[in-house]
Parts: sequence; structure tokens; C-alpha cells
Amino acid sequence: MKPIINVESISKKFRITPGESPSVRYETLRESLVKLARAPFVWNRPNGSRETIWALKDVSFEVMPGEVLGIIGRNGAGKSTLLKVLSRIIEPTSGRVELYGRIASLIEVGTGFHPDLSGRENVYLNGAILGMKHREIDQRFDEIVAFAEVERFIDTAVKHYSSGMYLRLAFAVAAHLDPEILIVDEVLAVGDASFQKKCFGKMDDVTQSGRTVLLVSHSLGMITKHCQRAILLDGGRIVRTGLAEEVVAHYDAMVNAQAEL
Amino acid sequence: MGLADSSTTVCATEPLYHLPVKPLVTIEARRSWVPLNLRDLWAHRELLYFLMWRDIKVRYKQTTLGAAWAIIQPLVTMIIFTFFFGKLARVPTEGVPSPIFFYSAVLLWTFFSNGVTSGANSLIGNSNLITKVYFPRLIIPSAAVAAGLLDFAIASVLLIGLLAYYGFSVTWSYLMLVPLIFLTTLLALGVGIWFSALNVKYRDVRYALPFLVQIWFFVSPIIYPSSLVPEEWRWLPALNPLVGIIESFRASLFGRPLPWLSLAYSTGFTLVMLVYSSFMFRRMERSFAELI
Repeated sequence: MKPIINVESISKKFRITPGESPSVRYETLRESLVKLARAPFVWNRPNGSRETIWALKDVSFEVMPGEVLGIIGRNGAGKSTLLKVLSRIIEPTSGRVELYGRIASLIEVGTGFHPDLSGRENVYLNGAILGMKHREIDQRFDEIVAFAEVERFIDTAVKHYSSGMYLRLAFAVAAHLDPEILIVDEVLAVGDASFQKKCFGKMDDVTQSGRTVLLVSHSLGMITKHCQRAILLDGGRIVRTGLAEEVVAHYDAMVNAQAEL
Repeated sequence: MGLADSSTTVCATEPLYHLPVKPLVTIEARRSWVPLNLRDLWAHRELLYFLMWRDIKVRYKQTTLGAAWAIIQPLVTMIIFTFFFGKLARVPTEGVPSPIFFYSAVLLWTFFSNGVTSGANSLIGNSNLITKVYFPRLIIPSAAVAAGLLDFAIASVLLIGLLAYYGFSVTWSYLMLVPLIFLTTLLALGVGIWFSALNVKYRDVRYALPFLVQIWFFVSPIIYPSSLVPEEWRWLPALNPLVGIIESFRASLFGRPLPWLSLAYSTGFTLVMLVYSSFMFRRMERSFAELI
């Protein structure tokens, strides 16, 4: 059988300037002009003050249709970068990915929600941003609202929603996406205990629906429960791949060994 | 090839989906200069509509006067111009009543300058989308520019009122207004797209742009007719693509011959600008999510 996702030695390099917060990566026109003026004199020290980091290095794997693949690793291991490359938000420095199906990624719920718009308007806007067609949203609208339990407030601006209601509506839209490949980051279970249960139920439905899912989570229980196979990332490389239980055990051992040092 | 070991690859259920022979999407590092992906843009046309609709909806939320602001702004500007430039400075208005002379250009200018400004700031304002979801980024500045068309349509009602009040009769030359408005939209799009991409990398744009827009206002024939410029110098302001558009806009409203030469220049300029800025946008687009 042919894989639905084929990742061939993906690498991603980030440039960071020491002593600068990573959030201030844009340069001003002045800096660029200064750099341009200095350019003839710095040819002998390329990337002088800049450090590079390989967030991903030579990552390859395949995912079969209908498979639920777990991705685990410590903070900064490259999980989010991998998801962002697969969801086409950032471009790899080298390597190649082939996707044989429509992809939707839930890296965050409520992307593009506008506080001044009503719940109804936000469902349509958010749905469109996540790649749903107008017709699809029409069909699933009642289901989404019922799932989020916000029927009475659907025409109220979401800025007047409680944070629980807001998150429930945001999750509900995301949960009703219907792509062939779904990328899920972290536990998207939100709200109070009873709604969380509903979210986990939905996750079960999704992972058992025959759809291809990439699941990133810190909760190892989630991984072993939902995934057949998992990959472990560390320092931007795949250090282990195989059956979910084995990879989780390897990760546990790795973390424990680290803790003892 | 992949690290997937066939012995550990288990499939939970029979897939409901038949894989296409060719990949739907291939992700790899792009070459620097790539043309527009028109098919991808077309596939996302509904998102363009939704973002436009959001910009329009949100603009006048929690305002008492609502969409009336679309008329109030150019109206008040026109009254001030009529008083200072028409009555006090006695700027010649080519035989047309000064309120309508000023309003016609203010209307077009307001649409153009708002389009450029909101287009230029649109990527920064939607950074949460850029870092979280994929779609052709060109949709964001396009929606911002296009959303201004509604304000333009609302403010045009007053122009029709003024034309009727001053006894202008409807002529075939009004048909020319449609391509002129389209051309203005394309020019605003070309300039807006370019600045929006630049703004992601250089936040200086936010400070330089209002200044630039102000200069552009004075070098365009809004508060004066082009005929006020001495003959031998007229080529200089005509380098500004808005000159041909505004002059043609007035000419078709007031039933005068169109300045075909400068209109042709404006059209050429707009098309070149649009092609150039979309190439540039595509080139910079790859790093938006990392820079913004």
C-alpha cells in the first residue's frame, strides 16, 4: 500500500541573533541599509553574528492511510516545527513532503475568531479559515452549535462569552472538520470536566474513523491510547520510531535518565 | 526513503479514501522567483469573500452612525476644500461647480488611499492567521483592498445626488466609470500588496506610509486641475499613475474628451506594478510566518 504522507529528509534551519529575543526577528530598514553598506567588508565572515539552529534535521517517515501516528518529544525537540512544515505554514530549508490528501491542522483552536462578531458569524469565518466550504458549514452548523452548547448565545458577540463558552465554540468548529489528514497539536480538550469528556469522546471518534491523524501530545497516555505507531523527536532528529508503546517506553527511559543526571 | 518499517506499520481500519496517483500537495523549498499559483487562489476564493465580509462587518461595529461614516468623511473633506480652495484660494475648477469638482476626486482618492493603507497593514493585523493556518497569503491584502469598494459605493450615492442637483445629464461616457474604478482598485492592490509584504520585514513602513500617502495626495489633481500646471512641466506630475485616472474620471463625469495618452500610461503602470508586486509578494511570502 502507498503512504498518504511521505516525508523525505526534511530539514529546517532557523537563524537567531544571540542576545536578541526570538520574537524580535524582523529587521528595520536602517539595519538592512547598514548591512548593505557594510556588505563589501564582511565577505570573509559569513553570518558573522548570526547563529543557526537546526529545528529539524533529516527527518523522514511515512504515514499510511487510516493510521494514527503519535509524535512525542521534549519541548524544543522540533514537534511544532514539523507540524508547521506539514501544514505549509513554514517552508522547509531542504527536503520534500508529498501529501496525497487534503490536510487540516489544529495547531490552535479559534484561529481568526473576532471578538466583535457573533458566535454564528465566527463559526462561518473560522470554518472558512480552516478550509471548510460555505455549504459544508451550513450542513454542520446546528451540530457545531449543539456540540458547543451555546445555542442561546449564538447571536451574541463572542467578546461577551465566558472563556469556557468561547473555547467550546472554537473546539466545536475544529472538531467538525472533515479532511483526509488531520494534524492535532496538544490536547485540545478544553472547558470544564464534562466538556472535556466530550472532547475526548470526539477525539476517539476521529481517531477511529479511518482518517489519517498526526497527534502531538505531552500526554503519553493519549499517545498509547490512540496511536498504533509513534515517532520520538529529539534535537530536531528522529531518535526512535516504531510501535507506540515501545517509543513511549523509550521516551520515558530517556526522560528518567535525564532527571538522574 | 522513509524510516517506516513495514513490520511495525499497522492499519487500524480499511481506508475510506482512495489515494490519487500524484500527490495533491508537494512541500519543498521553493526557488526564489515563482509565479502566482492561480489555481490555489481560486480554490480559496470563499476565504477571500469571508475575510472581506469580516472587514466590512467589523469596521462599523459599535458605531452609532455606522456606514454613514463612509459618506461623512468625503463630504466634510469636500466642504472644507470648497471653502478654502474654491472660495478663498479661488482654484480654477474648469467651469464645473467646485463642490462636485472636489467631491469627484475626493471620492476616488479616499477609496484609493484607504485601500493602500489597509492593504499595507493587513498582514501585520492578521499575524494570528499567518502563523497558524495555511492559505495563499495574497488573499489577506486583496480582501482588505476590496472591502473598501462598499464604502466607495455608499459614498457614490452622494456624487449621484450632486450631479443631479447641478443638472448634469446622464451620458454614455458614464460607462467609462466602471473600468476606471476597476483600474483604481488594481492600482491600490498593486501598491498595497507591495507595502504589505515589505511591512512584515520592515516595520518602518507603518511610519513611512502615512507620509507617502500625504505626498501622493498633493501630487495628484484633487484640489486642483492638471491644467493649472504649466504646459512644459505637465509631463512631470503625469508620471503619477493617479493623474490619468482622476482626470479621466472627471472627464467622463463632466462629458469632456478623455486624456487617452495619460490613461494608457496609468493602465500600463498599474499592470506592471501588479505583476511586479505579486512576484515580490510570492518571494517574501515563504518567510512571513517566521518574520511576523
